[in-house]
Amino acid sequence: MPLSIYAQMTVSGALIGLIYALIAYGFQLTYATSKSINFGQGELVMVSAFFSLTLVDLGLPYALVVPLGLLFGALLGLAVERAGVRLALEQKSEGWILLTIIIGLFLFSAAENIWGRDDRPFPTPIPSDAFQVLGVDVTPLEVSVAVGVFAVMGLIELLKRGTLLGKAFEAVANDRDAGELMGISATRTVMLSYGLSGAVAALAGILVSPITTVGPTMASALVLKAFSVAVVAGLDSGFGVVLVGMFLGALESLASFQLGSGWREVPGLLLLILALAVRPTGLFGKAVIRKV
Amino acid sequence: MLVVENLHAGYGLSEVLDGTSLEVRSGAVVALIGANGAGKTTTMRAISGLVRPSRGRVLLDGAEVQGMEAARIARLGVAHSPEGRKVFGPLSTEDNLLLGAYRHLPRFFGFRARAARDLDRVYELFPRLKERRGQPAGTLSGGEQQMLAIGRALMARPKVMLLDEPSMGLAPVIVQEVFRTIRRLKAEGVTMLLVEQFARSALEVADYAYVMERGRIATEGTPDQLRRDERVLAAYLG
Ligand SMILES: Nc1ncnc2c1ncn2[C@@H]1O[C@H](COP(=O)(O)OP(=O)(O)OP(=O)(O)O)[C@@H](O)[C@H]1O
Ligand SMILES: [Mg+2]
Repeated sequence: MPLSIYAQMTVSGALIGLIYALIAYGFQLTYATSKSINFGQGELVMVSAFFSLTLVDLGLPYALVVPLGLLFGALLGLAVERAGVRLALEQKSEGWILLTIIIGLFLFSAAENIWGRDDRPFPTPIPSDAFQVLGVDVTPLEVSVAVGVFAVMGLIELLKRGTLLGKAFEAVANDRDAGELMGISATRTVMLSYGLSGAVAALAGILVSPITTVGPTMASALVLKAFSVAVVAGLDSGFGVVLVGMFLGALESLASFQLGSGWREVPGLLLLILALAVRPTGLFGKAVIRKV
Repeated sequence: MLVVENLHAGYGLSEVLDGTSLEVRSGAVVALIGANGAGKTTTMRAISGLVRPSRGRVLLDGAEVQGMEAARIARLGVAHSPEGRKVFGPLSTEDNLLLGAYRHLPRFFGFRARAARDLDRVYELFPRLKERRGQPAGTLSGGEQQMLAIGRALMARPKVMLLDEPSMGLAPVIVQEVFRTIRRLKAEGVTMLLVEQFARSALEVADYAYVMERGRIATEGTPDQLRRDERVLAAYLG
């Protein structure tokens, strides 16, 4: 019996860890093209979740809410790029750090004013009655998280590897000017990556909301974990964030079960410190994080 | 084909190009020579849009392109093989070549098939690249990277190709190979603007040449005319 409880904790923790991984993947997408990340990514997760919830409240079917939510996230991502990142990159400055934080703060107060401060449940047609897999209880809701995360990350990775556009992304990341000389617009590539990253953030919001709730602070803890995951895994390995995310999620869940919920955040922090001490470039990555 | 008129450009407040004018006719190879720091690279960057000219015009087939973003100028058919080669190090040799053809390939699927003939042509020109097709470009030797940079520019089927110091840092044997390649491309009708330290070799392949000094064209003429010019002889062909 106790053993199966540990198994249970590991599995449900790892599934939440996939959400960390997905948000971390959003960081990677923009880092890959522009060496910049959106420090307000958590607010994108949250605002997209609120937006989707509003669509649900309006009576739209789930099958329509999801694509519209993703589209909304993509548009937010584009807006962040336009307002917070583009000029800074053109001037080769680090101004995007401050600007994306400010945009995040702005979105946060906007959300509080529009939707209020209360946490609200996110109704979903996906049932939450558990079924058993190898002695572990799993809910269809949890399965939907795994399916969503793997499907979207898999699809994006396939496109990146198999299409000329994906190679163009890599080229711009490697040498912006040389990419331009091939006819690849660096500006448009960066835009596209911010749009994708926004959609990925929205997906994280839509997937996690039914499990947690929707509220202005819903993503602040998530995004910190995601940041740890990205730093630990490295900013250029999609495979790495999935592994590290699941590992961290499982560890947290076990720690809070065994030691009490106050210990929940400890493994993540330890992991972060340890990883930075041992491999500053991330366990799976080559990228160097400057300044941040 | 390519006409540059009274071009002014620079970096920040320092003006490097002070009214450069030149012309490259279709099918011609034109050499641009001059001392270090004269502004040859800046001229090429101003043509391809990597630096924005502050005054003057760049005409491609009669249409103004100055001020456009570099990617757009590239898509119009200007293939600039930059100083220092600038191959995409982490990408494979073949991916580098495919990206050279970006302007006329489909973005998602079927691009390999569409690029097959251009790839064959480049591989036939540079068999070494074919051997190294799967290898990251950053691990190629300097000479191989230069061939890749030229091959990548050719993949674009450019209207005009800008070659900035293709012989830089290469062993003499490889330099000869580079010039053999340029001669062969010229025979195939490729239009080229060539910047070279090896002024003597450049004049041997060129149909026409410009000598640049402090951001302006100081002298111009056919290679024969320049070779008879005392000043040019002393300064660049000595
Ligand atoms: N990125 C830059 N920022 C500021 N000044 C620059 C930059 N690039 C070149 N310059 C300056 O512009 C002038 C012309 O440089 P350019 O590279 O065009 O010369 P070049 O004729 O190509 O020289 P070389 O034969 O050494 O390649 C030089 O004085 C150089 O210092
Ligand atoms: Mg130069």
